[in-house]
This record gives sequence, structure tokens and C-alpha cells, in this order.
Amino acid sequence: MKTKSQKSKILATSSMLGQSKAQMKVQQMAFMLIAVTLFFVLVGMIVLVIVLSDLRGSAALLEEKNAMLLVSKLSNSPEFSCGEAFRGTRVNCIDSDKAMVLRDHIGKYSDFWGVSGIEIKKIYPAGNAVCTYENYPECNKIEILPSSSGTGVSNFVSLCRKEKSDEGIYDKCELAKIIVIYDG
Amino acid sequence: MKRQKNQKFFSFNFLKKNQKAQFQISFAWLFAIIVGAFILFIAIYASVRVIKTGEQTTSAITGKEISVLLNPLETGFEEGKTTLLKMPVETRIHNRCSPAGNFGRQTIEVSQKSFNKWPETGKEVGFSNKYIFSEDITEGKNFFLFSKPFRFPFKIADMIYLTSAKKDYCFLDAPERINEEISDLNQENLFTENCPGNSIKICFKGGSGCDISVNENIRSVEKRNQIVYYETDALMYAAVFSDKDIYECQIERIMQRAEELSSLYDDKATFLSSQGCLPEVNLLAFGSFVSSIKSSAELLTVRSIVDDIERENNLAECKLW
Repeated sequence: MKTKSQKSKILATSSMLGQSKAQMKVQQMAFMLIAVTLFFVLVGMIVLVIVLSDLRGSAALLEEKNAMLLVSKLSNSPEFSCGEAFRGTRVNCIDSDKAMVLRDHIGKYSDFWGVSGIEIKKIYPAGNAVCTYENYPECNKIEILPSSSGTGVSNFVSLCRKEKSDEGIYDKCELAKIIVIYDG
Repeated sequence: MKRQKNQKFFSFNFLKKNQKAQFQISFAWLFAIIVGAFILFIAIYASVRVIKTGEQTTSAITGKEISVLLNPLETGFEEGKTTLLKMPVETRIHNRCSPAGNFGRQTIEVSQKSFNKWPETGKEVGFSNKYIFSEDITEGKNFFLFSKPFRFPFKIADMIYLTSAKKDYCFLDAPERINEEISDLNQENLFTENCPGNSIKICFKGGSGCDISVNENIRSVEKRNQIVYYETDALMYAAVFSDKDIYECQIERIMQRAEELSSLYDDKATFLSSQGCLPEVNLLAFGSFVSSIKSSAELLTVRSIVDDIERENNLAECKLW
């Protein structure tokens, strides 16, 4: 025969057991929900990383595209083009004298074309002598917008200037490359 | 009797207990519902943000792509050329211009229709070496871009005209050179004859029902009771295709570039003279005049100086441009 106090002890123990079972369930549920949330957060982060890397790829591709299209048309922009200064209109012709002077104005043009560097290199004679007012025109490279790093795309142009001889002033045109450097 | 009473009491008690059980929600359920709702809210919020970011990304990429596609419009020997810009969905191109800085800035914002709404992306793509003339907002799926060099007297820049394929333009009584140029362009939405009924009428000799009036004598274009002034055909087209605020801002930007080019040519003249060839072109007056131009109405003030320096350059042994 169980006494009254024994009975109440058994009841209390069983209710405590029920409570701890419920607490266990709540904890299980909480852990499950945290796990589900973490799973979705991780999936979201992976998707974001993929999207962002894709975006970086598109940005780099657009930079490259911009440089390639720019280099094919830059020689026709008024800061470079020969215009009609060399008897008649010429396409893809760079005024060498104007390009030399442009170097002094480049501070204002630094962001103008949206590229990190622009230079003009003579094809012949080959060499790396950078043009200054002292050695011009006996030099090989006019650094318009100097750049130490980046990827370059180039296009062939004719590089024309006024040359003095015993017979007077004449137009001299040489084959050159215009190089546009972009960050990529 | 007692048994009946007992049965009644038992069944009532059972029903009561059962009813209570029906409405009772355990703590575990309550917790799951609250946290579940919170997770759902976060998921929906994240989805909306992802869609918005996607729209902004598309807008920025499209804007940049348009700016890249404008590079080939730089003209060389040829006078003008047309490019068709096809968009996958209905698109709005917002044209904005600012004269601040050395050469001012041209910005475009692209907004693409999604869920029958025009999302405001706020992602602008800017560049300093382009001059786009269009209405403040150009809407459509297909767009026409054509460019023309502006010479004043040397080439200053290429003017880019942006129009929607939805809008037709009819040039009425235009001079022969304009008719020829438009025919050569072969742009589908520009007409000189057999104009569609709903086209925008551009009149060169006045008349009724004109949307835009061009006065070649005083070189002005009147549009929606607003007058702007131009020099050369390149700016006439610019005034026709753009809104006044865009046009005036671009004029200021073009004059900033003209001032810089004038300084460049002046330095070139000094450089050439040191090499024994002196081009006698007085660019100082031109430079100081163009730098003060803030509106199209002031263009007229430099006309005579432009003619003078053009003549001087043509006569020079070493031409500057």
C-alpha cells in the first residue's frame, strides 16, 4: 500500500518527466529551426558569391570591350586626329605634334576617356625611347597618359608631323600603334 | 439514477476536456509558428532585396553597355552614321547632364520595365567624353543613335542623337542638304516625305501644326514655346532631338572642351613655331570667349571670331587643324 505522500511524489516526478520531455522537444525544434535558417543563409551567400563573381566578370569584360572599341576610334577624336592639317582628310591619323603638346594638358584629361593609360609607339625604328621636347622627333614612344600596370589593346595608325628640310616644311607620316591600357 | 448521473457527469467532463484539447496549442507549436513566421518574413525580405539588386545590376550593366556601344559613333572622315540599339524589354533611358568639372559629365540611367512597373534603380553610368542629345526620358524597346561631328571651326566633339523607334520625325520644307543627309542616314524614324500621321513635325518654313520650328536665319529652334539657338547643322539636330535643359547643359560642356582644344592648338602653334613653322592663328580671343559661354543664346557672339580663325588657319603654311 502506497501512502499519500508516496503517491504525490510519484505524480510530481511524472509531471517533471513530462515537462523535461516538452523542453527537450522545444530544444529540438529550436535547433532544427536554427539549422534550417543557417542552411538558407549559407545557400544565399553561395548564390551571392556566384552572382558577384559573375558581375565582376561582366565589369572586366565591359572594360575590355570599351578599350577595344575606344582604341579603334580614339585616333579620330579631336585631341589626336590630324584633321585637315596634313593636306586632305585622313582617317586613323594622329597628329604627332598635337600628341606631344597633349601630354602637358593630360591633367585635365586623366578621367576623360575612362582608361588608365594611352601611348603611341612607332613601328619603325623599333625602340623604347620615350619622347620629350628635347629628343622629339628622334624617339619611339609618346606617353600621353602614363600607366604602370594594366592590359593594353592596340590599333595601327599613321603618325604625321610637320618636318623641316632645306626645301621647306613638308608632311611626314609614319606607321605607329596607339595603345590603350585598361585595368584588367 | 446515480449511475445515469455519473454517466452524464463523465460525458460532460470528457467533452469539456476534448474541447479544451481542440483549442489548446502546445508551447512547441507556438514557438514553431512564431519562429517560422520570422524565417518566412526574412526569406521574403531577402527575395525582394535580391530582385531589387538584380534590377540595379541589370540597369548598371545595360548603362555601361550603352556607353561602350557609343564608342564606334566617333566619326572620322564620314559625316554621320546610324546605329540601332535593341533592348530585350521595354526600356527607359534617362539622360542627365552636368557641366561641373573640367569637361562636365554625361550620365545615363537605364530602367527596364518589370512586373508592369518602372523600377527606380538609381544606378547611373557616367562619362565625360560623350554628348548625348535626347529627351530627358526616352522610352521604347528599340532606339536609334546617330552621330555628327560639331566643328567650331575645328572638330570639338561628336554629337550623339538618341531617339526612340516609337517616335517618328518629319522634316518639312527642309533645305536640300538636310533632306540629302537624312536620306543618306536611312534611319527608319526620320522622314522628309510621306510622313506618318502621328509623326513629330519639324518645320523649316513655318506653317500650322508644327511641333518644332527651325529658323535658319536667326539659327533658332522653337519647341514647346521654348527657344534655343544653334550654330552648324550638328547643333540644329541636337536642338530638335533634345529637351532644352539637356541641350543648354551640353552646350556648356561642349564649350568647355572647345576652350581646352583651343588652348591645345595654341600650344601646338608655339611648338611648331619653335620648329620653324609659325601658324598665325589668334586663338586667345576664341578661348576666352568660348569659356564664358553658358547658354546657346551666347553662341552668336563668337561667330565672327570663329570665321576669323578658320580663315587664318586656311591661309597658314602649317595648318593647326
